[in-house]
Amino acid sequence: MTIWGMAQQVLSGTGATLLIFFSTVIFSMPLGLLVAWGRMSRFKPVSLVVKVFISILRGTPLMLQLIVWFYGPYYLFGTQLSSGWRLTATILGFSINYAAYFAEIFRSGIQSIPLGQYEAANVLGYSKAQTFCKIIFPQMCKRVLPPVTNEVITLVKDTSLAFVLAYAEVFTIAKQVAAAQTTIIPLFIAGGFYYVFNFVVDFVMAKIEQKMNYYR
Amino acid sequence: MKKLTALFLSLTMAVGLTACGGASGETFTVGFDAEYPPYGYMADDGSYTGFDLELAQEVCERNGWTLVKQPIDWNTKDMELNSGSIDCIWNGFTVTGREDQYTWSVPYVDNSIVFITMNASDIQAKADLAGKIVVTQAGSSALTALTDDSEDNAANLELAASFAELQQVADYNTAFLNLESGVVDAIAVDIGVAQYQLTSREGTFRMLEEKLSTEQYAIGFKLGNEELRDTVQNTLFEMYKDGTFMEIAEKYSDYNLSDMVCIGDYIN
Repeated sequence: MTIWGMAQQVLSGTGATLLIFFSTVIFSMPLGLLVAWGRMSRFKPVSLVVKVFISILRGTPLMLQLIVWFYGPYYLFGTQLSSGWRLTATILGFSINYAAYFAEIFRSGIQSIPLGQYEAANVLGYSKAQTFCKIIFPQMCKRVLPPVTNEVITLVKDTSLAFVLAYAEVFTIAKQVAAAQTTIIPLFIAGGFYYVFNFVVDFVMAKIEQKMNYYR
Repeated sequence: MKKLTALFLSLTMAVGLTACGGASGETFTVGFDAEYPPYGYMADDGSYTGFDLELAQEVCERNGWTLVKQPIDWNTKDMELNSGSIDCIWNGFTVTGREDQYTWSVPYVDNSIVFITMNASDIQAKADLAGKIVVTQAGSSALTALTDDSEDNAANLELAASFAELQQVADYNTAFLNLESGVVDAIAVDIGVAQYQLTSREGTFRMLEEKLSTEQYAIGFKLGNEELRDTVQNTLFEMYKDGTFMEIAEKYSDYNLSDMVCIGDYIN
């Protein structure tokens, strides 16, 4: 089989990889913001629970978490699994894991805003919600962009971990093609794919950073 | 925050439960390792095919089922089967050593485990493997044959003890890459897979004449699922009697499969 033929097969998983990637970005960022709020809550039980949540998700392998999400419903509740659950579990696993990382990034962004701004907003008659939405949040977004880019780039590569659930994304397929054609080339093709993907991500994030560079 | 957490959790459950609807009905989901040619692998056109999958396709057509080919990670095959995400494991699945763990069909292929070395290697017999590095697939029957500590396996255990090291990799393609790059000296592998590699890369590898063990392949169903097992098995008997079974096996004669079929011995 030609290299081009193998590339076509490997890249047939692009849709699946993009699906995992975009779903995770879309779900994990808002969830991360919620977790960040919980982490900063002055109500001790909440911040404690969230601390434990973050600690577990960051302290155990993502690969293991994916396995737990997929098989958990059966082994914990005896639910019979169906084929649709494979994708759901993959996206749940990725989203919740990444939410924990994003939460800490967002927290660092929020806490980097000087207290004086809250006081000033208060004096000007802003409510707490207004202060956050109009003053704190926009500044946070700018400040957390570099670390968020870091996480997103890691996510692109981490999507390959979906192979433990045999979800047919680029890396899973690359391994299968490598076995069928008895060659290592498909793995290099997959490597090229991830590099190009990340090159684009890097470019887009740099553009967004530039756009947000007003006031400078 | 608590409300949001509750909301999120209930959403998660809802998605999960919806996803857990369907199953079985008129579908027949075969779990297979898509990195295990010629039994199950990705064809040049990108679809999944192989000896076992073609048999499964024919069984489904005769029973009016829709075949779902579900690639699985071989290390988690039991979890897949028990949780119901697949109906059976059908992929060059070795009975020997796993008799009590599944509800088995009758064996349909007689398979042996062999050793593969580089053509130029000086290893000629099992005894020459002493002090060498041998690799096999994690969770494979070759690994079981080399590590099973029951009494009738003493000879193989002794052989394994003579190796410098017994390594494990996730799939056999990696094992062959290891062998080719020189980091291991030999591979313990099922004969069907070995034939596939020997044919596709002629002159590179060599098979030792002495075998590690002889064993049989069958279809594994979840323990207690005799009903489905009987239906599939009877259909296979029918297929053998009218010649369809051997027709499919002939397609894989490059890998010697037609000589390995043994289901005929079990029809009463």
